[in-house]
Amino acid sequence: MIPLMHYVLFSSALLLIGGYGVIRNRNAIVVLMSIEIMLTAATVNFVAFAEYWHDLTGQVFALFIIAIAAAEVAIGLAILLSLYKQRNTIELDMLDLLRW
Amino acid sequence: MLEQAWLIPVLPIAAFLLIMVCGRFEPLRSRFVASGGWLALIGVGASSVLSLLVAWEVFTGGHGPYEKTWTWFEGATFAFEGGIYLDGLSALLLVVVSIVSFLVVMFSMGYMADEGERRIRYYAEICLFVGVMHGLVIANSFLLLFIFWELVGLCSYLLIGFWYEKPSAASAAKKAFLVTRVGDVFLLFGLVILFNTFGTLRYSELFADPAVLAEHATELKWATLCLFGGAIGKSAQFPLHFWLPDAMEGPSTVSALIHAATMVKAGVFLVARAYPLIVHSPDTALYIAITGGFTAFIAASMALVMYDIKRVLAYSTISQLGYMFLALGAGAWAFAHAGGDAYAEAHGYTAGMFHLLNHAFFKALLFLGAGAIIHAVHTQDMREMGGLRKAMPLTSTTMGLAVLSIAGVPFFSGFWSKDEILATVRHNGEVEPIFALLWMMALATAAMTAFYMTRLWMMTFTGPPNEKAHEAPAVMTVPLCILGALAVISGFTIFLGEGFASYVHYGHHTLQNDWALLDHILTASGTHLSIAAALGGIALASLLYYRSPTQAERPERARFILDNQPTAWLHHFLTERLYISRFFDWFGLRCWDVGAAACNRFDLVVIDGAVNGIANGAIRSGERLRRLHTGFTGHYASYSLGGLGALVILLRVVLPLTGWSP
Repeated sequence: MIPLMHYVLFSSALLLIGGYGVIRNRNAIVVLMSIEIMLTAATVNFVAFAEYWHDLTGQVFALFIIAIAAAEVAIGLAILLSLYKQRNTIELDMLDLLRW
Repeated sequence: MLEQAWLIPVLPIAAFLLIMVCGRFEPLRSRFVASGGWLALIGVGASSVLSLLVAWEVFTGGHGPYEKTWTWFEGATFAFEGGIYLDGLSALLLVVVSIVSFLVVMFSMGYMADEGERRIRYYAEICLFVGVMHGLVIANSFLLLFIFWELVGLCSYLLIGFWYEKPSAASAAKKAFLVTRVGDVFLLFGLVILFNTFGTLRYSELFADPAVLAEHATELKWATLCLFGGAIGKSAQFPLHFWLPDAMEGPSTVSALIHAATMVKAGVFLVARAYPLIVHSPDTALYIAITGGFTAFIAASMALVMYDIKRVLAYSTISQLGYMFLALGAGAWAFAHAGGDAYAEAHGYTAGMFHLLNHAFFKALLFLGAGAIIHAVHTQDMREMGGLRKAMPLTSTTMGLAVLSIAGVPFFSGFWSKDEILATVRHNGEVEPIFALLWMMALATAAMTAFYMTRLWMMTFTGPPNEKAHEAPAVMTVPLCILGALAVISGFTIFLGEGFASYVHYGHHTLQNDWALLDHILTASGTHLSIAAALGGIALASLLYYRSPTQAERPERARFILDNQPTAWLHHFLTERLYISRFFDWFGLRCWDVGAAACNRFDLVVIDGAVNGIANGAIRSGERLRRLHTGFTGHYASYSLGGLGALVILLRVVLPLTGWSP
């Protein structure tokens, strides 16, 4: 039996890795992937606590998150595709129309 | 008839509305240009007839004041009651205003004939002027009087600035309005004091109980001084006298109306109306007398050297108004000094009002005559006139009557009233030395009056005949003749019925036999002195300024005045109008502008500084803060993550350490 603390530390590490990826990367696709990693961190937490409390609700939530993540990736990729068509780039530091 | 007295002001105001509304209506416009004068004449004439009937009823009725009130609106503690109040004083003013205004409107139909479409405005404003003056006279409370008082000021502003495209007329109108406003503020203060003290401004309630008035002597002193402040502004007394000569920029008919019937007489009327209050304050009475006597003296001295015919008349008005105030003040002082004696009578009151009546006729005549002259020769400078006697026989004769009257030649109207005033002041002088001094000044003023009026007549009418000038049309000469007759006979009202004093008097009145009165007047040494002063002034002026018909050059007999150093200096001093106007200009430019500059600086530095500072702060902080918007997604993400971290640290670490629990 793996103690709860390990799951929590693991998911925290995933969250930080994902956050680092979001902040540091310029490529929009990699940023999208990093966001997926952050979502995974949350999913891990849900599953771990569901096991800990013997409550299935957390596992159901995990299924929801996976479904929503798939939809979100679809929308995100569609946005990036149309962005690429318009601006011919998906480098985030090139997309600075709202810059001061 | 007394119940219908409210129609007196309403009729001219209705004529004003009719002329103003229909005159602006394009299809009727051309017709109203011609008929506006007739409408005005009918409106003013109807109210004049009504005034005379009402005055007749008041004078012959013999009963106390008649009052009729209507409640306009009611508050929790105060009901505003408009209404009419008729006694000998208001009846006298009704007579003066109605006769003079009717004749002036009639004269205007000839005088203003060349003014075209502007006559609509002129007639409308004249009607309003007459209407509000009637309203002022018959008002039943100081509050209603104040409303009409302000309207009179407005009308004078409009009419003095009638030729508003002339800068001098526009500025004269503004000057008249602003200077009289200074007095109006005092009047308002006085009314506030009265209302705070007695809780009412209605004459009948205020004057009802002399005992209550006597208890509040201090309040009454300040209130009456403030009321007199209003009269100083309106009646152009020192030190607010300098607007009146500038007000000559309006048409001569307007000057006649302002000087003889409306506007300046309002100040005298106010003081006479407030008499029951003033007699409880000898200080105010003395101040009124001193102001009047001093103003009469300096205004007459300035009139000596003026060359503008209307300015001479303007200073003469100021001087004569000073006489009236001197009389009113002296009468009130004597009455207060009598200390509640049941048989005390304010002779000065009667004398002042008598002079008001006489002055109205001869001054209206003088101004209308001056108007006829200006109409004929198109100049106001007396040095360019002369020799008009042949060309304008009616004008010269009627003006001659007015000159004799104002100079105080025996049996003309000015003689009777001026003599009454001098006698009253001299009588006071036996008790109070100041009045003796004022009496001497008044006597000197009488001599100067005779001098400058004769000078005016001599410079205008004598000399080689002026061929170009011609007599005015009948619509102008008829009013002159009527006023000429009135200027001679109005003085005899002193013997009318049981004497003028039995109609207009304050306090106890003893009936006097006419013959005894005549005997008293003609044998008094004061009368002889005033006759000597008048004749001396006339003789000196005739000697200096008479020009025979063959004498083309203007006589240089007055040359010695300018040749000698002290008299030349005095002449210059008077020509500069005692430097009073200069002083006020200097005062305005130097002292007032310093204050204005300080205010301007305060505005620029403090107010604008605060506003601009806040705006600049916002702009600068915006400049700095907008650099957070890098447009790079990573930065936004790190802000939100950093914010999350900060929240976690705050809720989980900092707040538990401080002992706070959600």
